[in-house]
Amino acid sequence: MSAQFIGMQLFNGLILGSVYVLLSLGLSIIFGMLGIINFAHGAFYMLGAYAAYTITSYIFPNFWIAFIFGPIFMGAFGAACEVFFFRRLYKLPPLYVMLFTFGLMMAFQDIIRMIFGSMGVPFNTPESLMGAVNLGFMYYPKYRLFLIIVTALCSLGVWLFLSKTRLGALIRAGTDNSQMVDALGINISRITTLVFGLGIGLAGLAGVLVAPIQNVTHLMGMDFLIDCFVVVVIGGMGSIAGSIIGGLIVGEIIAMGIMVWPPIANTLIYLFMAAFLLVRPRGLFGREAFHD
Amino acid sequence: MIDSAMSKKKIITLSSAVLLSLLFPYLTPYTALASEILVFALFAMSYDLVLGYAGMLSFGHAAFFGIGAYTTGIMLVRVYPSVMPALLAGVIVSSLAALFVGYLSIRRSGIYFTMVTLAFAQMFYFTAFKWTGLTGGDDGLQGVPRPSIGPLDLTSEITLYYFILFFVLLSITIGLRVVNSPFGKTLQALRENKDRTMSIGYDVDKFRLIVFIISGFFSGLAGGLYALLLNFVPLSSLYWTTSGEVVVMTIVGGMGTLFGPVLGALGIILLRDIISNFTESWNFIMGLIFMGCVLGFRGGIMSIIRDKLKLNV
Repeated sequence: MSAQFIGMQLFNGLILGSVYVLLSLGLSIIFGMLGIINFAHGAFYMLGAYAAYTITSYIFPNFWIAFIFGPIFMGAFGAACEVFFFRRLYKLPPLYVMLFTFGLMMAFQDIIRMIFGSMGVPFNTPESLMGAVNLGFMYYPKYRLFLIIVTALCSLGVWLFLSKTRLGALIRAGTDNSQMVDALGINISRITTLVFGLGIGLAGLAGVLVAPIQNVTHLMGMDFLIDCFVVVVIGGMGSIAGSIIGGLIVGEIIAMGIMVWPPIANTLIYLFMAAFLLVRPRGLFGREAFHD
Repeated sequence: MIDSAMSKKKIITLSSAVLLSLLFPYLTPYTALASEILVFALFAMSYDLVLGYAGMLSFGHAAFFGIGAYTTGIMLVRVYPSVMPALLAGVIVSSLAALFVGYLSIRRSGIYFTMVTLAFAQMFYFTAFKWTGLTGGDDGLQGVPRPSIGPLDLTSEITLYYFILFFVLLSITIGLRVVNSPFGKTLQALRENKDRTMSIGYDVDKFRLIVFIISGFFSGLAGGLYALLLNFVPLSSLYWTTSGEVVVMTIVGGMGTLFGPVLGALGIILLRDIISNFTESWNFIMGLIFMGCVLGFRGGIMSIIRDKLKLNV
C-alpha cells in the first residue's frame, strides 16, 4: 500500500467528512432550537442536488449560478416549511414532530421520483474545476479540493455567526431557554424560522456540492442521514465543534475502512459509535442532559 | 353492577375480535394479505411494549424484525428445514440482538436513544447487505421453504394463516399478562416519571432493558413468520423505513393499548394494498397520510373506539 494511496484515501475521507459536517451542522442547530430530529434532513439534501440539476439543465447552464442560488432557494424553502408546517407542531411531544418529518421525507422523495424518475439524473463537474492539482506529494482533483475549502469556510462562517454576532447570541439563548428569550421581548418564532432556514440551506449546499461527484437519485439522502446521526452522537448534539470534528472522524473512519476491507467500511462507524457510547455517552462536546 | 356490565361488554368485544380474526382471511382480497396484516400486527404490538408502555422511542426495531426473519430463513435454507427450530433460533438471536442494542442504547434517553437505536439497526442492515454469502445481499434471501409440521401443510396459504394466528393470539395473551403485571405497572410508572420511579428504589435501567428484550423477542417472532409467509427475506425488512412504518402503525392505532397497534397495522397495510393497486406513487400518499395523522388524528383508532364504546381494554 503506497503512501500516495493512503494520502488519497485520507483526502477522500475529508470529502465525505465535509458532507457529513454540512448536514450535521444543520441537523444539530435545528435540534438545539426545537428539540426534534429532522428525518427529512436527508430529503432536503437530496432536494438541494435536484435544485442544482434543475438550475443548470433548464434555467441557466452554469454551475456557479446553481452553487449560489441552490442553497439560497433551499434555505427559503426550509423557512417556508417551518412557517407553514412545523410552527403548528411545537406544542406537541417531539414524537409527533419526528413522525411528521418522516412523512415529509417519504412525500418529498416520491415527488422527485415522479418528476425525474428513479434512475437518477446526470450531473457534470463544472469546467473551471476539472482536472487535478499538484499538491507536491500527489495529484488531487480540483473539484474535491474546492468542496473541502467551501465546507471549511462555511463551518467557520456558521461558527462566527453563532458565537460573534448578536443574532447568533439570540439563537444560542433560544437554544438554552426559548421561553425566557420570548419573555424578554424578542420575537422567538422569527429566530426559529431563521434557524430552520439556515439548517436546510446548509443541507441544500451539501446537496449542490456532492451533485458532481455522487449519483443524484431520489434516495441519496437515506443512508447519509443515519450516518449523520452517528456524527452527532459522537460529536455531541447541539455543538458546532462536535458536528465538525465528529463529521471528519466519521468520514475518515469510512475512508480508512474502505482501504482495509471495503465491506466493513459502513459497519465500522457503528461499532465505533458503540465503543464511544461505552466510554463517553454524552459525546465529545455534548452537554449533560441536553434536551433529554 | 357496572363492573359486570363492563366485563360483559369486554367479553363480547374480545370474543367478536377472535371470531373476526378466524374469518378474516375470507374477508380480504387474498389470504396472504390477511397473513401479512397479522405479522405486522404482532410486530406493532411488540413495539408498543417499548413505546407505549415504557415510553422509549426506538427507531431501530427493524433490526429485530429483520434479524428474526433472516435467522429463521437461514436456518430453513442452509441448516435444517424444520419450522419450529428455525422460529426458535430466530427469536433467540433477535433477543440477543435486543440485549446488545438495548444495553448500549439505554445509556442515553430521549432523542439520543432514538438516534442510537436507529444507528445500530443500520449496522445490522449494512452487515446483511454486504455479507452476500450468508444473506443473499441486495437480492434478499431467496427460496425459504415451508416444510410441513406433522399433518400441518404450511404450503397452503390458509393453513399458514391459522398457524400465524395461533402465534399472534398467544403473543397478545402473553403481552397482556406482561403489561398488567407489577412489571408492566412499573414500566408505566417510569414512563410517567422516571426520577420518581428511581427514587422509590426501582432499577430503572434494568426495567428498560428487560422490556426492550421482550419486545425484541416478539419482533423476532414476527420476522420469522414473515420469512415463512413470503418464502423469502427482503433486505428492506432490516431497513430503517420498516422501523418508521411500525412506529406509524403503533401511533395510528393508539399507543399504550396493545390492541391499538393491531388495528394500526390493519389500517396501514390495507390502505397500502388498496393504494398500490391504482398508483405507483403510494409512498407519496402514505407520506401525506402520516403528516395528516400528526396534524389531526393523534389519539389513534383506539381512542375513537374507546369513546364510542366507553370500553377500557
